[in-house]
Amino acid sequence: MTRFWRRHRSLIVPYSLLLPAFLVVFLLAFYTCLWLVRMSLVNWSFGAAWSKAQPAGLSNYVWLLTDQATPLWKSLQLTGFFVLGTVAAELVLGFGLALLLNGRVMGRSIHTALLVIPIVVMPSMVGMIWRLYFSYDGLINYLIETLTHLKLNWYGAGLALPAVMIVDVWEWTPFFILILLAGLQSLPHDPFEAAIVDGANGWQLFRFVTLPLMAPLLVTAILLRLMDSLRIFDVIFVMFGGGPGSATTTLPVLVYRITMVARNVGRGSAVSVMLIILIVSLTILLIRLFQKARIEV
Amino acid sequence: MAANKFRLKRWLPMGISNLLASLALITFLFPYLFMVASAFKERLDVLAYPPVFFFKPTLENFSQVFGDINILFYMKNSTIVATFSTLLTMVIAVPATYALARYRFPFKESIAYGFLLLQMVPGISIVFALFHIARMVNLYDTYLFLILVYLLWNVPYAVWMLRGFVESIPVDLEEAAMVDGASRFGAFFRVTLPLMAGGLSASAILIFIGAWNEFALAFFLTSTGARTMPTTIAFFMTHAGIKWGPMFATATIGTLPVVIFALLVRKYFVSALTLGAVKG
Repeated sequence: MTRFWRRHRSLIVPYSLLLPAFLVVFLLAFYTCLWLVRMSLVNWSFGAAWSKAQPAGLSNYVWLLTDQATPLWKSLQLTGFFVLGTVAAELVLGFGLALLLNGRVMGRSIHTALLVIPIVVMPSMVGMIWRLYFSYDGLINYLIETLTHLKLNWYGAGLALPAVMIVDVWEWTPFFILILLAGLQSLPHDPFEAAIVDGANGWQLFRFVTLPLMAPLLVTAILLRLMDSLRIFDVIFVMFGGGPGSATTTLPVLVYRITMVARNVGRGSAVSVMLIILIVSLTILLIRLFQKARIEV
Repeated sequence: MAANKFRLKRWLPMGISNLLASLALITFLFPYLFMVASAFKERLDVLAYPPVFFFKPTLENFSQVFGDINILFYMKNSTIVATFSTLLTMVIAVPATYALARYRFPFKESIAYGFLLLQMVPGISIVFALFHIARMVNLYDTYLFLILVYLLWNVPYAVWMLRGFVESIPVDLEEAAMVDGASRFGAFFRVTLPLMAGGLSASAILIFIGAWNEFALAFFLTSTGARTMPTTIAFFMTHAGIKWGPMFATATIGTLPVVIFALLVRKYFVSALTLGAVKG
């Protein structure tokens, strides 16, 4: 025993420094996940006592994965469309504007300071204000009518998801602008000078110097945003609550709708478990790419 | 003539890029500014079509928000929850970060990535399990439970953000202090902690903002006692429709502190957004 302690004395300090974090975070998380899994294995109506829950085995999962009426696949499709569409739009717009701001633009520091605002405004309030802006007699239709003499029904099944996506692009394009601008400004000068000496034009400079140098940072930003976009609940919930029909029911909203609206805690928890598995496995993939990107940065 | 052409060639692209940049800035700011402006509008003006851009400002919405809805109560709740969860996060995360940054021990990287994975779990996916636990231990609708729950995300976030800050402070400084007779902890408190102050306060402010803005957990884990600002939106949805004026007033009040805070820490904002992957 004494020998054991002598050998591992150096470990006591770091482990005890980690202990509070470990106790609070991992224990609470572990206990919660234990309950989540338990809840996914029963038939239990929301609001009823736990003693009323009926053991259901894996039937909740089986129903979600195989039943004809399952909302899972449509929700997964919507989520994929939402996540890829918003991140792609934000990346293109954000990178474009970062390049623009990296050029000869007056008041760059004012731009970067004020662009923080969409990111930090309460998402629930963001959802509410845009709900009004997208109404039939709202700000967006006013803009569109001024330009085209048309008014669109953003509350309808066809345009609700694009409306939510526009809000996300408004909120998070500044994220790409700020990160990528910081990256552009810290790039070394030498490769650019060398390329100019070699007679590279603007496009070649971008394609063969800027882009490769920025690649690790672009990957990092894209992956962080993908993971975050996959988790968005508040804005969508506040704007349309997943509707009309199921037009904006992404996976996080589906968890809410099955648990609280359909009051089926078992199935809702099963969706939660699958969502967590999806995100965790995607994150592990992210970590691999992240490490690669980090080494190159 | 030639000189004119040359000048035009040089100034035109610059003019265009400045124009585009200003246009982009206006696009990103306008929805927020219109929200603040709408908070000062009369009821009819808020919903008017075409939208009203110039109007006589009124404080009617604010008096309703402070009177009928008693927004100060929810601000108090938000302040308590955000402040204490931020403080607790720091007390727990700083030692953990120090261990991860300065010591070598088995499973170090696994623990670090465990934190990262935890941080990625969506709040909504575990909120109903947390709801059930809160009811079991009689902590539903209390500050304490919300503060504890926020730690689940805040501690991992803080650890990931701060690790880079600690690692960027040379160990030599601590070792020099120890040669001068300080203990390891004395060296930490006297040398490393003051050098971390910038990063520490920046991450504290960002964690505060996150807790202040959080919606899903607060919405399902509180009812009347510990309800926070972001969840007050439910009060504006009445049978007679949405009370937009007071809604905008609340949004203005609720976002003001956060916007000010964010402008204060904008130097650190970029590195915070990427969990410290990019130094801003």
